[in-house]
Amino acid sequence: MKGNGRFLIGLVGVATVVTYLVWTGVTSTMVYYMTPTELVARVAADPTLHDVGIKVSGRVVPDSYEKRPGDNGPIHTFLVEDLEDTSVTFPVEFADNLPDTFTDSEAMIVDVVVEGRFQRDGVFHATTVLTKCGSRYEASAEQLANG
Amino acid sequence: MNILGELALWIALPVAVWGMVLGYTAGRTGRGDLQLSAERSVYAVFGLLVLASLGVIDTFLNDRFEYIYVASYSNRELETFYKVAGLWAGQTGSLLFWVLILMFFAVLSVWTNRKTNREFMPYVVGVLLTIASFFLVVLLFADVNPFQRLGFTPANGRGLNPQLQNYWMTIHPPTLYLGFTAFTIPFAFAVSALLMGRLDSRWIKLTRKWTLLSWFFLANGIVFGMRWAYEELGWGGYWFWDPVENASLLPWLTATAFLHSIQIQENRGMLKVWNMSLVILTFVLTIFATFLTRSGLIESVHSFAENTKIAFIFLGFMGTVIIAGTVLILYRLPQLKSENHIESFISRESAFLFNNLMLLGAAFSVMWGTLYPLISEGLLGEAVAVGPPFFNRVNIPIGLVLLALTGIGPVIAWRRASKRNIKKNFTVPVAVGLAVVAVFLAVGAREWMALATFGIASFTLTVVLVEFFKGTKARKRIEGEGWAVAFGHLVGKNRRRWGGYIVHAGIVVIFAGFAGSAWDREIRQTLEPGETAEIASPLGHTYALTYEGISTTQRIPDRNLAWQAVALVSVTKDGESLGTLTTEKRGYLTWESPITEVGIRSSFLEDLYIILADADLQNLVAFNDPAAQAATFTFLVNPLVGWIWFGGMIVAVGGLIGLWPEPGRVRGATTSAPTPPRRRPEPVAAD
Repeated sequence: MKGNGRFLIGLVGVATVVTYLVWTGVTSTMVYYMTPTELVARVAADPTLHDVGIKVSGRVVPDSYEKRPGDNGPIHTFLVEDLEDTSVTFPVEFADNLPDTFTDSEAMIVDVVVEGRFQRDGVFHATTVLTKCGSRYEASAEQLANG
Repeated sequence: MNILGELALWIALPVAVWGMVLGYTAGRTGRGDLQLSAERSVYAVFGLLVLASLGVIDTFLNDRFEYIYVASYSNRELETFYKVAGLWAGQTGSLLFWVLILMFFAVLSVWTNRKTNREFMPYVVGVLLTIASFFLVVLLFADVNPFQRLGFTPANGRGLNPQLQNYWMTIHPPTLYLGFTAFTIPFAFAVSALLMGRLDSRWIKLTRKWTLLSWFFLANGIVFGMRWAYEELGWGGYWFWDPVENASLLPWLTATAFLHSIQIQENRGMLKVWNMSLVILTFVLTIFATFLTRSGLIESVHSFAENTKIAFIFLGFMGTVIIAGTVLILYRLPQLKSENHIESFISRESAFLFNNLMLLGAAFSVMWGTLYPLISEGLLGEAVAVGPPFFNRVNIPIGLVLLALTGIGPVIAWRRASKRNIKKNFTVPVAVGLAVVAVFLAVGAREWMALATFGIASFTLTVVLVEFFKGTKARKRIEGEGWAVAFGHLVGKNRRRWGGYIVHAGIVVIFAGFAGSAWDREIRQTLEPGETAEIASPLGHTYALTYEGISTTQRIPDRNLAWQAVALVSVTKDGESLGTLTTEKRGYLTWESPITEVGIRSSFLEDLYIILADADLQNLVAFNDPAAQAATFTFLVNPLVGWIWFGGMIVAVGGLIGLWPEPGRVRGATTSAPTPPRRRPEPVAAD
């Protein structure tokens, strides 16, 4: 029993430390994860959300991509729409390299996850842009028929 | 061939179910004829799956685009190499590939145990065929049959994602899958032991090599994946804490814990429930990883597909395994009592236990962070995500404690370490660790996480080197051998132990490589041909990178490319020429957006990594317009990245040494009596 007691103390000790690390880790690095609809609605209701990190998952609006020269290479801009309600869109600006799988082509629907701040200028200033093109990896029969 | 393959896949399911039922029945009744028949079903299922896999490869090689799977992942122009790899390019093929390797290992296990350990085999076969049947049911009935056809034949396939058309990507998934499936064997033996009530450490001894084999493939698979990310994804890093990466890390963490904790059971007869739980947990995590890789449940840089039906089937399977495992453990709880208890905190048992808890803590935090968007949405009604900062913040401290334990565990005494034992073993390593930190401080480094890593890494490496030195010296003295011969014999005579130490050394080198990222440098700049950018290395010198221009090529024969735009950059280091580097954009025949290929110049201490970030590709490629040559580059200096690959190789070598059969030891010849506690334990591995 003595040994088990020690084992339990160790277990509880490590569990406490790990829980503490996870807890402080979450609270100090977490970002809200929203859909574009939620983003637009919630930022309108609560302007303090302009100043916090937010992650949004949506879809690139076809033909919305543009680039303009910046200090360190091009700045990318594009629109992101809600997956379910495509009337909801917001502009994104990104000053780093886009992933290779990013495109605004209509033939290749690209879902993106952008992380950054939706600032008061009404533009989402992204610090990371991830693409997921699941729909492209597994083509449906109709897509295959169309080429 | 393809018809035969499809047929084989359908026949495999009833054969597997038949063998499974026979296996369990033979286990209950002890009937040898049933057992033999069950074992033959293992061979039969494997043979059928080989046919099915050849069938899939055949559909790829012959461009049979009437099959959805081929149409989705291949095109006529795809290089043959990647057509063969098509077997594991997508979800459907991967699942077939998974069960194929599982059955390969099952055959190996049944074959090696055809004369020995017969009592374990009926249930082992039963468990293995249960898992195989599950995967076959998924393959045949969950819309992921690789032989599913379209109603018509497209003129060409849609092609393989160009990012998967990379050498590392062809070996990374199979290596991981080998690791995932190999762990099924220890799991099957553990369940067999539970079902039989044979709960001494026999099942552990029998599956030690399998555990190590699985661990070996997982470790290599993860490193290969990092290599792929570094060379292909083109952002200069190798690990993004992406859900799929995390999913492959989880079973590796728990398998590492298991590899260590079974040594406590073997030596001290403790932790029986713990080991049973770990083997079940690790198995479930291999399934979780297999499923997450291909399900797109959580967004990820390489989520491949979305098929929610599969998600539910897999979650159901994992839930069943966990519940059944828990019930079995509870049922056998009286026989899983510990034979000893921990006598002192300062002992090897304690160090190993602590190592286990830290590894599980790491696994828990990675799991938590990965699933956090789902958890928070379910519990709080609001999705919250965490990213790399979270994982680094939690796992760097845990990793450092583990790194220190890597040095402490192997040399601290069992049961109760004396002051003398501690002083004798740790004085020199601690001094070396502190000295290394002092040197870094002296040259002005203040990145304290990296400093801690280097300090602890040098401590641990010193422990390993001193052990090797002492062992070799003792052999040299006793046997009168030369240094090299003595060293060879030392390792050869106890491969498990010394192979483990070599693995530890490799892990240390990998950690040092990780720490190097504290000094990463990056610039992004637009250049006209002839212009030069400068980037300072943290080691003090400066690279000057002169952009020489982009040359374009259209439609390269025999390659899957529509065009290529190659940027040439000449490099000097403090005025001394280092030659040129290229980085390019490629247009693939079946892919809309251009794909970047980076240029890397590796040296022992740092990599120079260049990315062609942006160029006026339209005017360059279509019109070869000389006025459109301006291009944006990202230049990075990544210190010590090469150490990660080098450390990975050391780990692989150590793993192979540990896997090599011990000389003069006959398989299964050990007795099944529980090992009595020893005052001076036999040296054991600490892999």
